[in-house]
Amino acid sequence: MFFHIVLERNMQLHPRHFGRNLRENLVSKLMKDVEGTCSGRHGFVVAITGIENVGKGLIRDGTGFVTFPVKYQCVVFRPFKGEILEAAVTMVNKMGFFAEAGPVQIFVSNHLIPDDMEFQSGDMPNYTTSDGSVKIQKDSEVRLKIIGTRVDATEIFCIGTIKDDFLGVINDPTTA
Amino acid sequence: MRNKRCKTEKLDDLEGLQGSTSQGLIEEKLEVSLNKDTCSHPGSFGQMCILCGQRVDDESSVTFGYIHKGLRLGNDEIVRLRSTDMKNLLRHKKLYLVLDLDHTLLNSTQLNHLTAEEEYLKGQSDSLQDVSKGSLFMLEFMQMMTKLRPFVRTFLKEASEMFEMYIYTMGDRPYALEMAKLLDPKKEYFNGRVISRDDGTQKHQKGLDVVLGQDSAVVILDDTENAWTKHKDNLILMERYHFFASSCRQFGFDCKSLSQLKSDESEPDGALASILKILRQIHHIFFDELDSDLASRDVRQVLKTVRKEVLKNCKIVFSRVFPTKFQPENHLLWKMAEQLGATCSTETDSSVTHIVSMDAGTEKSRWAVKENKFLVHPRWIEAANFFWQKQPEENFPVSQTKNQ
Repeated sequence: MFFHIVLERNMQLHPRHFGRNLRENLVSKLMKDVEGTCSGRHGFVVAITGIENVGKGLIRDGTGFVTFPVKYQCVVFRPFKGEILEAAVTMVNKMGFFAEAGPVQIFVSNHLIPDDMEFQSGDMPNYTTSDGSVKIQKDSEVRLKIIGTRVDATEIFCIGTIKDDFLGVINDPTTA
Repeated sequence: MRNKRCKTEKLDDLEGLQGSTSQGLIEEKLEVSLNKDTCSHPGSFGQMCILCGQRVDDESSVTFGYIHKGLRLGNDEIVRLRSTDMKNLLRHKKLYLVLDLDHTLLNSTQLNHLTAEEEYLKGQSDSLQDVSKGSLFMLEFMQMMTKLRPFVRTFLKEASEMFEMYIYTMGDRPYALEMAKLLDPKKEYFNGRVISRDDGTQKHQKGLDVVLGQDSAVVILDDTENAWTKHKDNLILMERYHFFASSCRQFGFDCKSLSQLKSDESEPDGALASILKILRQIHHIFFDELDSDLASRDVRQVLKTVRKEVLKNCKIVFSRVFPTKFQPENHLLWKMAEQLGATCSTETDSSVTHIVSMDAGTEKSRWAVKENKFLVHPRWIEAANFFWQKQPEENFPVSQTKNQ
């Protein structure tokens, strides 16, 4: 699920960035530092959408660096248990398949793939129904349900299932 | 990776986030108590059960880092996967083949280990743009030069029709992946089944526990017997491929390497070509000749029978090969000869066909010449062991050592 929230961060800035571009420098450094990172509480920071306020700078003793408290608005992404997600399949093997929804890596074990779908090995491994009408392979898009999440310092892992009504392939790359 | 983690942790500290972890713990405890009896936790991904999504401790399970770094599977699940996969594979008339890289399929050296005589190779290396045709590659970003063994492309193509193939190397992961790219640029043979030493469960050992195939259907191709102490019966030992001088030195050979001689292994008669014939034979016996139930067949038995054909009808007597006080039955060559189907004996008689000797001057050697029996060097047995074929005896003459 996506959230638009306000976060705060103390930014240290080198004196060479001071001058009339100070604010711009501060923002570009903030984007570089924060976008794409992950925090256990908020999830994955997708993009910074605006700066709420830049506080008063505080000079660090000895170094000359200045610390600014910056409040910024950003879009974060955090998967939740029970959430339905659409994801792209990245790898299929006999244990199940891996899929990605943006930065989130999801594993769907073959226990949680409907029983009528069977693994087919070969140079394009896939799970296929006995009549061949539905096929999951690399680059397929699937709709899945999250049954477990773990948000790490840098990564988000999820366990998913497609063994439920209205879940499974939504777009097959071979027929597209 | 490490740096990034440090960075984000610092980020959390600076923001003064609190309470996130303790909150998570309470949630988990609730979940555990609800589902305790229902799930067997067959394996885990990122420390979550792959079946119910709960957090699990996964100390007892085996890591499958080569598939995905967070994936671990319990023993029961491995057994289950192996047996379902086995049925699938046998239906496609395939077996598993585990391939070693260095000295088996290719030979690599560091660029700074190249000798002056080998400098010419730098000008001859093939382009990395289209690796599917070349065989000598300079990987400057890894400071390495790699030479693929002659015949390897045909070998992989034909073997892939009979086997599901794995790479299993003692090299590290980046090296293994880079080599896989050279061998399999279209990713049609290995498809993520590349195992490096970082993925093994034991140090300095290779094991089939991370290979998702039943032991009874796995054939291993490797040049180092010691790496596979638990799976010797599955192993086909390869003659080492030394192309670069540094590789010869590493194994203590004091001769000119293939690169220094500007030559190479023969493509149609080299080690890979002869092994491919053996693999075909094994595959044929396994699927077409055995009449027992498919699932109960064992490729190790097939290997044994094929090996026993090599020196069939040979009766061998050794002369001045073993140290005097050594029990001959325990010697490596004796055992090797017996595995190859020969009969070994300590006494000469009319039924003996070969005398294996280091010295043409011994009594038994002279007897062989007089009785018109084959007199061969011990390398004759080793060669037969590598090529799985009886070698022409005249290529392994025994020289007279000087009388002291």
